[in-house]
Amino acid sequence: MAQVDWKTPKAIQYRQTEVKRTKFRFTTNRPWTQQFAQQNRVGTRRKKVFVEPITDWSFFNGDRVEILVGKDKGKQGLVNYVVQERNWVMVEGLNCHYRSIGKKGDYPGMMLQSEAPLLVTSQVALLDPSDNKPTDVEWRYTEEGDKVRVSVRTGRIIPIPKLAEETKDYKTKRTYVEQEKDTTEDDLTRITFEPALKTFEMDIATKMGIEEDRVPLKTYWY
Amino acid sequence: MMAIPARRASTLLAGTISCFRGLNISSHGATKAVVATANTNYFKTLPSASSFHTSARRLGLMEFFDDKKNWGEQEVKVGRAWKLDELRIKSNEDLHKLWYVLLKEKNMLLTMEHACKEEFQLFPNPERIDKVEESMKNLEAVVQERNKAYWLLETGETGERPGTKVKDELGRLVYKRFTEHVVPVWMHKQSKESMHQGAAMRRFQRYMREKRAIESRRYRRRIRNHVCGLLRRFPNANLESIQEQFPEVDVGRQRFARRSRGNHRNIA
Repeated sequence: MAQVDWKTPKAIQYRQTEVKRTKFRFTTNRPWTQQFAQQNRVGTRRKKVFVEPITDWSFFNGDRVEILVGKDKGKQGLVNYVVQERNWVMVEGLNCHYRSIGKKGDYPGMMLQSEAPLLVTSQVALLDPSDNKPTDVEWRYTEEGDKVRVSVRTGRIIPIPKLAEETKDYKTKRTYVEQEKDTTEDDLTRITFEPALKTFEMDIATKMGIEEDRVPLKTYWY
Repeated sequence: MMAIPARRASTLLAGTISCFRGLNISSHGATKAVVATANTNYFKTLPSASSFHTSARRLGLMEFFDDKKNWGEQEVKVGRAWKLDELRIKSNEDLHKLWYVLLKEKNMLLTMEHACKEEFQLFPNPERIDKVEESMKNLEAVVQERNKAYWLLETGETGERPGTKVKDELGRLVYKRFTEHVVPVWMHKQSKESMHQGAAMRRFQRYMREKRAIESRRYRRRIRNHVCGLLRRFPNANLESIQEQFPEVDVGRQRFARRSRGNHRNIA
């Protein structure tokens, strides 16, 4: 992720330089929010955060997990929020702390319950659906060729929850309402391409009836 | 079974295709326009612009603006961009039409963005412009692929703009894109390359080489130390994942480095 603040104009008299930011502090605020911009404003420099690299990410929204450390050790809950940049996962209603906002003079302020993020590598574990106990998870291929999560202890497949396919545009793929300007599935998947020994321009010209019989002058490229 | 959404920012493609077939536009009509002189009926024989349409929509200049329903909205729902694989199965005719559909959509979105800025209003879903640009980029890539395949098959060279790596005035290797000329290179006066080869250029090259070497050394040291930091803090980390993320570092060797030593049991 890079944020280009200023780029010199593309002209011969300018040296091609960019003023950009490549190191960001990732938190529970998403990169397009105002709070993220405030945390990563020009001039701020935060200490480096070491994040363990994980090749196959296994935690999705709606997964049942058990918390292994802290106040709520042993409790099970649903994953609410995922921050892959920090290997974080927030479990609904668990591992919470209370903070009051709007404290002024005698008024104690409003109490808010907010969840604390948990590290995916060490502080949280997926549940095996067969016995609801925490397990390690591996990604393996089925006989059909699908990549699935498999519990290492029992070998049971842990399916990806329905909540994971939710996006800002739709809750599930099937409940999406086709808009006016959207291409329908039939139009999209219909194969109209017929390979022919022609360039794009030649094909269009023949279809439009344009006949080009002029021979261009010999030119030199250097 | 409900249609699984296949969404993209394009107007009714099927409608435009059928309209196009009906009109039968050919170049023969265009060649009628002769050289304009004071005594001909040149302008009367020209087809009137207002009656020249290739699609069913007749909104005139209002095509530059969004549907009136979307004016003042906080959110406008649209699909995603066209993917490369989805464009590859389409014929050249379809791609040609889709290009103009996307172009008009982009013009509409840019007009709306400007209008919203002028009126100090919220321009909803600005990512629509990015989606259209991505679709257009993918379309151009597919067309380039097809042309390149034909050219390589028939001529042995790609039909794209030729170029080569040359040394510029400071001796740095730069990619020079060729331009088209009428005269061959030995007749072209400006092409007489006078390259400096003196001591100043050689000195500059030495300094540049040193600077690049220092930058490279520092970069390699930085990522090597970062890997050592990871191994120190995460003793149970997956070494293959770290190696994938930092292919230039020998992760197996860094396990025994002093910087990787943490307060945990020996795992080597």
